Amino acid sequence: MRQFKITFFIVSFTWIFSALTNSEVLCASAAKTFESDVKPLLEKYCLSCHNSERHQSGLVLENLDSLLEGGALHGPSVIGGSSQNSPLIEYLLGEKQPQMPLSGNALSKEEILTIAAWIDQLKVTSQKKKKELKWPWTKLQTPLIPEVNNTNWGKSSIDAFILNKQEKKGLHSAPPASPRALLRRLYFDLIGLPPSPEEMRAFLEDPSENAYKNQIEKLLANPRYGERWGRHWLDLVRYADSFGGGLDYPLPHIWRYRDYVIRAFNQDRPYDRFIKEQLAGDAYRGYGAEGKIALGFMRLGVQIEGSGDSRRDFLNDVVNTTGSVFLGVTLGCARCHDHKYDPISHKDFYRIEAFFAPTHQPTPASNQNSGKLWLTDVPFTPYELPNLNPKIWKRKSQGWDDKLANWKKSGEEFKKKLKERTEGQLNYVLTSPQDLKDWALSGLKHTSISRSSLYTKEEEEQLRIIGKQTTPFINPNHPTRFKPIAYVPKEPMGSTMYAPTTFLLQGGNTKLKEGIVEPGFIRVLHDGPESVNLDGFSGSRRRLMANWIASAENPLTARVMVNRIWQHHFTKGLVPSPSDFGNNGMGTVHPALIDHLATKFIESGWSIKNMHRLILQSSVYRQSVNHPHAQQLEKIDPQNHYLWKMPSIRLESEVIRDSMLAVSGQLNPLMGGPSFFPDFNNEMMRQNSTWWEPDSEEERSRRSIYMLQLRSLISPFMTVFDGADTSQSCSVRSVTTVTPQVFALFNGPLAHRQSKLMAQRIKQEVGNVPQDQIQRAFQLALQREPTLAEKQKSLAFLGQEKNQIHEASIKKISANLSVNDSDQKTAVVRDNKKYNGTLSDLCLALFNVNEFIFME
Amino acid sequence: MVMSKRTGLCQNVEPAPDPRLGELGRRDLLFRFGRGLGGLALSSLLYQDGLMGGESPSNPLVAKPPHFATKAKSCIFLFMAGAPSQMDTFDPKPALARYHGTPVTRKYGSMEKRIYVGSPFKFAKYGQCGMEVSEVFPQISKCVDDIAVVRSLHTDSNSHPTGFTLMNTGVQRPGTSPALGSWITYGLGTENQNLPAFVVLPDKRTPQTDLYSNAYLPTTYQGTRLNPKGVPIFNINPPQGVSYEQQEATLDLVNEINKPYLASNPSNIDLLGRMKGYELAFRMQNALPQALDLKSEPSKIQELYGINETISEPMGRKCLMARRLVERGVRFVQIYSDGWDHHENVKDGLRLKGYETDRPVAGLLKDLKQRGLLDETLVIWGGEFGRTADNTMSFFSSNPGRDHNKEAMVMWFAGGGIKGGTVVGNTDELGIKAVENVYHLHDLHATILRLMGLDDMRLTYYHAGRFKRLTDLGGKVIKEILV
Repeated sequence: MRQFKITFFIVSFTWIFSALTNSEVLCASAAKTFESDVKPLLEKYCLSCHNSERHQSGLVLENLDSLLEGGALHGPSVIGGSSQNSPLIEYLLGEKQPQMPLSGNALSKEEILTIAAWIDQLKVTSQKKKKELKWPWTKLQTPLIPEVNNTNWGKSSIDAFILNKQEKKGLHSAPPASPRALLRRLYFDLIGLPPSPEEMRAFLEDPSENAYKNQIEKLLANPRYGERWGRHWLDLVRYADSFGGGLDYPLPHIWRYRDYVIRAFNQDRPYDRFIKEQLAGDAYRGYGAEGKIALGFMRLGVQIEGSGDSRRDFLNDVVNTTGSVFLGVTLGCARCHDHKYDPISHKDFYRIEAFFAPTHQPTPASNQNSGKLWLTDVPFTPYELPNLNPKIWKRKSQGWDDKLANWKKSGEEFKKKLKERTEGQLNYVLTSPQDLKDWALSGLKHTSISRSSLYTKEEEEQLRIIGKQTTPFINPNHPTRFKPIAYVPKEPMGSTMYAPTTFLLQGGNTKLKEGIVEPGFIRVLHDGPESVNLDGFSGSRRRLMANWIASAENPLTARVMVNRIWQHHFTKGLVPSPSDFGNNGMGTVHPALIDHLATKFIESGWSIKNMHRLILQSSVYRQSVNHPHAQQLEKIDPQNHYLWKMPSIRLESEVIRDSMLAVSGQLNPLMGGPSFFPDFNNEMMRQNSTWWEPDSEEERSRRSIYMLQLRSLISPFMTVFDGADTSQSCSVRSVTTVTPQVFALFNGPLAHRQSKLMAQRIKQEVGNVPQDQIQRAFQLALQREPTLAEKQKSLAFLGQEKNQIHEASIKKISANLSVNDSDQKTAVVRDNKKYNGTLSDLCLALFNVNEFIFME
Repeated sequence: MVMSKRTGLCQNVEPAPDPRLGELGRRDLLFRFGRGLGGLALSSLLYQDGLMGGESPSNPLVAKPPHFATKAKSCIFLFMAGAPSQMDTFDPKPALARYHGTPVTRKYGSMEKRIYVGSPFKFAKYGQCGMEVSEVFPQISKCVDDIAVVRSLHTDSNSHPTGFTLMNTGVQRPGTSPALGSWITYGLGTENQNLPAFVVLPDKRTPQTDLYSNAYLPTTYQGTRLNPKGVPIFNINPPQGVSYEQQEATLDLVNEINKPYLASNPSNIDLLGRMKGYELAFRMQNALPQALDLKSEPSKIQELYGINETISEPMGRKCLMARRLVERGVRFVQIYSDGWDHHENVKDGLRLKGYETDRPVAGLLKDLKQRGLLDETLVIWGGEFGRTADNTMSFFSSNPGRDHNKEAMVMWFAGGGIKGGTVVGNTDELGIKAVENVYHLHDLHATILRLMGLDDMRLTYYHAGRFKRLTDLGGKVIKEILV
């Protein structure tokens, strides 16, 4: 088959060249035109992929202009007057691989000849002029606030942009949300927890504009805010407490980075500084310890032991993630070739990479044990748990050494005993296969022929746990996590000069080096020279890059961040693909609004809290999720791009868990410090290479952001409710409705435990009168009073009130039975015997109702 | 700035832009149940609820038609973790026996002297096709006329963790790419909504979670790990002391509170889907233990799978469970068997693995066949790479074994769409390197998708700026094994 194909190429080659040099053939086909001869062929063979919607490889073959414009890989697909050099023909012939069309149904000779002849008669066009840049690659400019017809609706400048578009589209916004819905929205959006019944009551008594503004300020000042918004950031930076990969070693000190993020949000750290800290916090004077801890950002990529090139893994990850997180571009696509959709070249990837070149030195040590390159002593700052709360810190950190010593001791004793027991038994000689089988069948479980085959199942299990307990690098319980260490790369002095050379790698392959690349910025986003001038420069390369990203001049940085803030207030960004602002992303209908927000963002000194204020005070945010004319408006804008109503929101996994803890009264407000060890199912722990001792229940009742997250062992509750993917930057969480969610929330130990505790709380607060209990349960869980019907149903559920329908149906059935059917009658009554629910059952039901996990 | 026309297609919260979505009207996106009574009952129930006709809740696991007409409806992947030796199982190398005990002249990375190891096992021809199989598998060798062996596979990794990942996801980096089973369930959905679509039946040490991870696909497509013994799935049963009546009454109350909320939030289509989810969960609570209840199988069948013998019981249970699951419409079942990593003593080690797995695996093939299910089930057997023809001096002098070898490995296929009795490709004289009709693991993936009726070029998911595929790094169909 392959043989045949090659022969075919050769044949067609000779044929096409003879065709092109043969003037007779050319003359015969002189009358070819695009519309009548070429276009039908393209339509037949090419357009299913190369149309303006799919534009595979950035190439569109719909019309003459698009052919001349060409694709991402080779530029113009036809070169007038020269069919030999036209990529289109080269691909059709298979001279360039893969041969087109991909389906394998190659064009016939005559068909290719037709196209070739048409190309040859095309006038040689001059080089096409440079494409004009479009949003978002253009410089950020302050847009004018648009005029609107309905001047009554808007409360802020944002509304003018939204309304302007709506009016043009024939849409109109939904009525305002109820004060209850609004307050819930504010709480979940800003702190990720429901309001208490008392907070709700106070707001319902005075839902004025002023009270609303006060609520915003109150919540922005609440330290829970940093935990909520820090979590969004952690999603982006692929945060986890372990390296990932097959062995998934823990990252015991990374909690300091997590706390840094929470702190930065709470302090409203200017976003430009926040960027600089994470990319080059070690290189700015005055950033101190905070800037060093922030560098954990770079250490969070998945590390694979034995991948052979930990430096390469680091560089690929950090360049890719920097592009996605800060610039909202899929820079990683340019690692192997020019970006197929966006104006980002292959070289751009390596220009950015060159800034990181000194960071992770390619020494033998970095491949052997890259960890040590990054471990640096950074004393605890006054803002960290050890100094904020020395008492708690002491209590937590003490005892770990003892514990470890104990495990070691008991483990050794066990091993010694085991050795004594099995001594001498290995002399059993296995001579024939039958012997082996007999011996194997004698009840000893094993998988290989060694001493271990003499152990019982329990002993084997015990041995594995001992191994996990005492091996420091797989045990996240290890006391080192209490040491003041941070992940700071150790760049040698003068590293700029002696940095390893960066090469352009063809196909991303380290063996295919194609020339040296100097550090430089992404060309399309930068007016200056191609590479930065490093002559006589001895500072940090990363700092140069951080300055460029964290600049008001960078077209993308501010736009991308305001869109992320918007995203977490409206479930969907104005650009719904928040980490891909490029041509293959999902685009936006609101470029002007994004620019408006971005300008305001920069003007406010990159204040994130200020953006919240701006967005939360708008009318568009305060709309209801339900629109009286929804059916009609859905026809115009089914995806609600124009925000004519508020989207309803399924709460995230962390918010669901934290809310249960909050309403049961168990939420432990302690902030910061090493992650707590959750209490996982034994089977799950057994399957994993790591091991830990679960923390106390009090400790485990902290917010989900503080829960240990090993990449190979993430809480099933988090996973099932679509928790973030920790292996790479996660900009949008998926929202699924799957059956295991029911198991988690209806059967799972967490929900059951919290519903019991919530019932206890209610009894303590309101006593034993069922009516009061029901009322309190609804107030706590749903922040409202139960309706009359709900009250009655709940009472019936608790067995407090005769269920009238139920009783009536029994009566009716009984009446229809004759007196002699008394057996049957008892059967009916028994079958209908009602289960009397308890208060904790009621609480469990409330955790499971839609209203608990949806925000309206 | 114009709104991208592709917007609707690029949402990662929904199944990706799949060319087939265009062909399917919304009305066709219904629950379809091919097999299994549970499925039928459910579908009729959904009809009653008026769920099937109108706006169906977005159930991503709805059964979808394949790209090509195909025989296989389900797939059982028998993963022999640790990498079984090719020259001691399905790739006889008589020449190696002649070299047995002679030193390897070729340079190795390791400083230690290496010695060739001949196979300690006898090979014989079996079946009408006359395929050669070693004595390790006396039962499987009776099924060779249903089996197609590929002897000329090779892979990129010589280490277990990356090898596992490559075999399962097509790339070496764990967690970055969806598992084969996730791709297949994403492409085809499943035929029984009461059971998980993609089931993993683990052994003691394998698999790690990332081997059945959905990665960037929605979580729905994640593999469900079922415990082969005891409670099959976390939290499928309520905590101890919670009765069925208690659950039912509580669920009733949940529904009562949900109803007015549903009425007052007409625009939220997830609400109804979630309410239905509770009923489905309630049914799965029954359906899953039923599907896994091996006691209901006659003792003859249990014996066929070797469940009556201690040594083959664990694998036998998993194989029988797999049959019961695919019978009920589960799309993809992956069974793990540990302990094939015979660096030392391949003779006893492999023989033991034979005792453990030969009858269960052959039993599965025979049982599927006698039920007429083999035609619609694709069975795959293999490990993550092959093994070397030689061993270090130290092991050779005690108990010779074999080390890791990515240049040659063997796998076999049986069932739906497979041309039984076929042997594809060959390794060199000593089984060191695949040389004839060489296929890469990526080709294996393309082939499995094809056998399941999916075109690997069209099974795409939009993520991180581009349409991703299982076969992103290449892959051509191994046509020789197709009917």
